[in-house]
Amino acid sequence: MPPRLPCSSRRPQLLLNSLEQASASSLAPSAALIPLHRPTATSSSSACPTSSTPRCFSTTPARSETKMRREFKEWLKRNEAMLRRPPGETGSAAKPGGTYLGSDGAYHPFPNNSYFVSQPVLSERAHHWIWYQVMVRGQPLKAVSAQHGVDVRRVAAVVRLMEIEKRWEKENKPMATPYARALKNMLPTADLAPGEGPFEPINDIHVHSYTMQQLFVPTSESRQFTRADAAKAFGEHILPPDARMRIPELVDYERDLAKGVDPKVARDKFVKATAESERALAAKLRAAEKEAEERRIRVQTDRFEFRIEQINSEEVGPKGRARNAVGWRYGVPHMDRRRGEHKIPTSVGM
Amino acid sequence: MVVKIRLARFGRTNKPFYNIVVAHARTARNSRPLEVLGTYDPIPKPDPYDPSGRLHKDIKLDITRAKYWIGVGAQPTDTVWRILSYVRAVPVPCVPLPTRHLP
Repeated sequence: MPPRLPCSSRRPQLLLNSLEQASASSLAPSAALIPLHRPTATSSSSACPTSSTPRCFSTTPARSETKMRREFKEWLKRNEAMLRRPPGETGSAAKPGGTYLGSDGAYHPFPNNSYFVSQPVLSERAHHWIWYQVMVRGQPLKAVSAQHGVDVRRVAAVVRLMEIEKRWEKENKPMATPYARALKNMLPTADLAPGEGPFEPINDIHVHSYTMQQLFVPTSESRQFTRADAAKAFGEHILPPDARMRIPELVDYERDLAKGVDPKVARDKFVKATAESERALAAKLRAAEKEAEERRIRVQTDRFEFRIEQINSEEVGPKGRARNAVGWRYGVPHMDRRRGEHKIPTSVGM
Repeated sequence: MVVKIRLARFGRTNKPFYNIVVAHARTARNSRPLEVLGTYDPIPKPDPYDPSGRLHKDIKLDITRAKYWIGVGAQPTDTVWRILSYVRAVPVPCVPLPTRHLP
């Protein structure tokens, strides 16, 4: 007995049609009833009209709908209004998962799979609010990040994407708005409204593998052993957490609050400090660009511009194989032939 | 033996990338040279965020060392001569204009 394959619902009808034809034309209806390895001309031509459709081995018609499926459809019909409702429209604002079924205070699109967690995304309003604060009100990125609990990299990305969107609007480029709207309707979103709380942790630091070991460092009792000393104990190039966090100004801010400084004054001081640090970073980047431009010679030809960067060809290390030496390296395997190399870029360059 | 300043092709299929090298004339193209003077990326690229779409090519070159090698008699190939002429290390080549065929 060959295994039964799932048949489409129209297949039994086709089989019946062929049966009728066969019974009318010949005296051997059993030939059409039981498909053989070598099917007769009538059954092959009518039951399976094209060679691309899979042949049906079973003669019993497939059940059109199981009980469970019928019950599921009834349930869907009963709960249609709830499923069609956009997330933040009705009283379900406290519900974190947008249209998720079993959202019992968690972002679980599949109620039975608690390990599948779908994180919320920023809503259109949040995008516009972030862009407005940075580009119109001139707030520093770090301050906006700290205010709403959005990672500073995400804040920068939102601003860049909003700028592109606005440019495209000016250029009358078509945008996939219905697609974005459909996605946003399905996912849980965050509006960054005042009472919502932080969107994500913003000041986490990367745990360096050097700091995962247990160390015994003898010191005198009178010595002040700080975080900087601990970092140095782990390795010469390990930075203390204060130097590795994204918004170190937050530490001073919290310190001020603990001292009893007026929150508004502390906030102003924090914004000023972040603005200053961002200005310093921008100046550093500008200086690096200016220095690179000074080393560059631009030659215009009728087809292309040649940009000639001046380098020092003698900085090749003691063996002539320094990693940062200019040019393709000799005597080492290519990057994409080495094991453990990331071939897919892990970050987006500007 | 003649010392040449020439290009050594690296990169991939349809994705050339050249080292500008000083090498003996009879050695293989990609063998270890006397010195790597720089690189030449022949694939023209636009600037990111530049709406004009103008293309540029990137070259890295140690001009001082190139001048030194020319001073001691190294012979640049035609392509390298053209590149070196951009930084005035050698005179601009007098390229004969191609004969124009009228239809």
